[in-house]
Amino acid sequence: MATVSVPKAHWSGRRSTLASIRLAVLTFLADPQWLIPSMIAPIVFGFVSFELFLGTPDLVVYVILGAGMMSMWGQTLYGSGWATGQDRNIGTLEPTLSAPTPYVFVVLGRILWNVVSGLIGIVLVFVVVVVATGTVPSIDNPVAFVVLFVFTMLTLAAVGTVFAAAYVYTRYAGFIQNVGEFAFYIGTGCMFPIVILPFWTNPIALLFPPSWALDALRYASIPGYVGFSWGLGWDVVGGVATTAIYLLIAGIVFKRVERHVLEVGNLQEY
Amino acid sequence: MSSVPAIEARGITRVFQSRKGFFYQDVTRTEALRGVDLTIETGEIFGLLGPNGAGKTTLTKILTTLLLPTSGTARVLGLDVTKDTERLRARIGLVLGGERGLYNRISARENLRYFADLYGIPLAEREKRVNEVLEWVGLTWAADRRTEEYSRGMKQKLHIARGILHRPEVLFLDEPTIGLDPKSARETRKLIRSLLGEGVTIFLTTHYMFEAEELCHRIGVLSRGRLAAIDTVAGLRELVGGDRTLEAEDYGFEDSELAAVRHLPGVSKVVSEEYGPVTRLTIRVRTGDLTIDTVRQSLIGHGGLQVRERRTSLEDVYLDLVEEEAR
Ligand SMILES: Nc1ncnc2c1ncn2[C@@H]1O[C@H](COP(=O)(O)OP(=O)(O)O)[C@@H](O)[C@H]1O
Ligand SMILES: [Mg+2]
Repeated sequence: MATVSVPKAHWSGRRSTLASIRLAVLTFLADPQWLIPSMIAPIVFGFVSFELFLGTPDLVVYVILGAGMMSMWGQTLYGSGWATGQDRNIGTLEPTLSAPTPYVFVVLGRILWNVVSGLIGIVLVFVVVVVATGTVPSIDNPVAFVVLFVFTMLTLAAVGTVFAAAYVYTRYAGFIQNVGEFAFYIGTGCMFPIVILPFWTNPIALLFPPSWALDALRYASIPGYVGFSWGLGWDVVGGVATTAIYLLIAGIVFKRVERHVLEVGNLQEY
Repeated sequence: MSSVPAIEARGITRVFQSRKGFFYQDVTRTEALRGVDLTIETGEIFGLLGPNGAGKTTLTKILTTLLLPTSGTARVLGLDVTKDTERLRARIGLVLGGERGLYNRISARENLRYFADLYGIPLAEREKRVNEVLEWVGLTWAADRRTEEYSRGMKQKLHIARGILHRPEVLFLDEPTIGLDPKSARETRKLIRSLLGEGVTIFLTTHYMFEAEELCHRIGVLSRGRLAAIDTVAGLRELVGGDRTLEAEDYGFEDSELAAVRHLPGVSKVVSEEYGPVTRLTIRVRTGDLTIDTVRQSLIGHGGLQVRERRTSLEDVYLDLVEEEAR
């Protein structure tokens, strides 16, 4: 007869996140050729933005930031949502949820890996553009560039986490993503600065943390860049604030979403 | 100190709403469970037996915190399955089995390491545990192969290995032998039996009576979301008591002939089943001493008629229970 003893569940968010990154890396290494299709789009868009900004002095930076960020963003969305959809398809969502670790840590690990793998896209675009134009872009303030670049990745990850929640919530999230993806590329300023878009789109874009971060990044890397009138400092503040809000939302939503799927019973394809 | 049952369910119901149509406008309601009460003691192997669609998987998922009941309460190891999910998940194991549920592009070992991490098995013990369970299910030789190369039976063993990796106190197995070849099914049953020696409480579902009979201390027969019976194998046998079973076979019977057999003295039930061109009447006799000859006489004119008597089996009890409920 068991006696009533209730040991605490042993799990650690950090360890689960690392395990999730490890799984993502192993899966990637098992078939690295899958990276190729996701790299085609950024390169195509690299050339599109090349045409778009032809004649501007900082053409190269625009192209790299635009297409590169697009690759990152694609990877993040792809990573956040797609992996959960995949979990549902291959039947691993149930075993994963039956472990004591909250699913959000698994998602976090995947997003971090996907943000990093998106970097590969940037490097690729960089190489292609440098070879095609014969110019190596100069960056105004390399230290600020690197810091803000990492910051931009984190804002992308925050949005990815919210997206992932949608994927856990419903298996139809892929549809929403497909429709939304392109709007995001443009709306958040992934491809080109949003200040050149009609004014009414700007407030919407500001709801997304990467818009702030990307504007800051352009301020730091393009001499004479004209972005949001409040400048780099407030861009960073806005970026940090919106990211914090997204992470908060993700935390709340994930708790709710886990409950919701247990209620509806859509953890598996039925 | 007080002792708690391993599993305790009271009045569990579950309704599924599924939507179809272009605008998801057609809603279908399925009552998968319609009031299930169940108590399972620690150290027991309990078998939940029922045909497809009876609600076995639904009940298993509710008890393992993967699905919320529409009403009713359930405690496993004294923990509420809807509230204490985190602590409970750490102490129970679930084997859903099947082709699915594994990361197929990585090795069995990596699959197990991943889940060991999610269960928070101390890092210092991880490799030892993974090797142990691989050895225990007999997969050491294939541990470093991608699981996409695994046969159905190997996958099932890996599912079980994952289920016991964190040494759960209660293990749930949903149709552990379904779709396996006879040899793998036998090996799987052997693994399940040997778990009992380790003091694990086992809850398994199956739609094979013989499997439940072979493995389980007690059996619950689930039919259309209700427990039609719950008893030991011996107890279930008593349900048929002194019943006798006769079987008559030939190439088809007339309705009038069936009716005639039904009205023979002592006959409680006649089931007609087709096996290719052959029809078999299974005749249950509750009282009296209806003989093979009497049956022959009421089916006179059948050249190829074969009539024999056989032992009433648990399978018959099962079919009875499932049918009665279905009515
Ligand atoms: N996620 C779901 N959505 C809608 N209906 C479901 C779902 N899961 C199960 N059902 C229905 O509930 C009933 C019981 O199913 P299930 O528990 O899978 O039975 P079993 O495991 O005994 O075959 C069936 O009628 C099935 O169609
Ligand atoms: Mg089932």
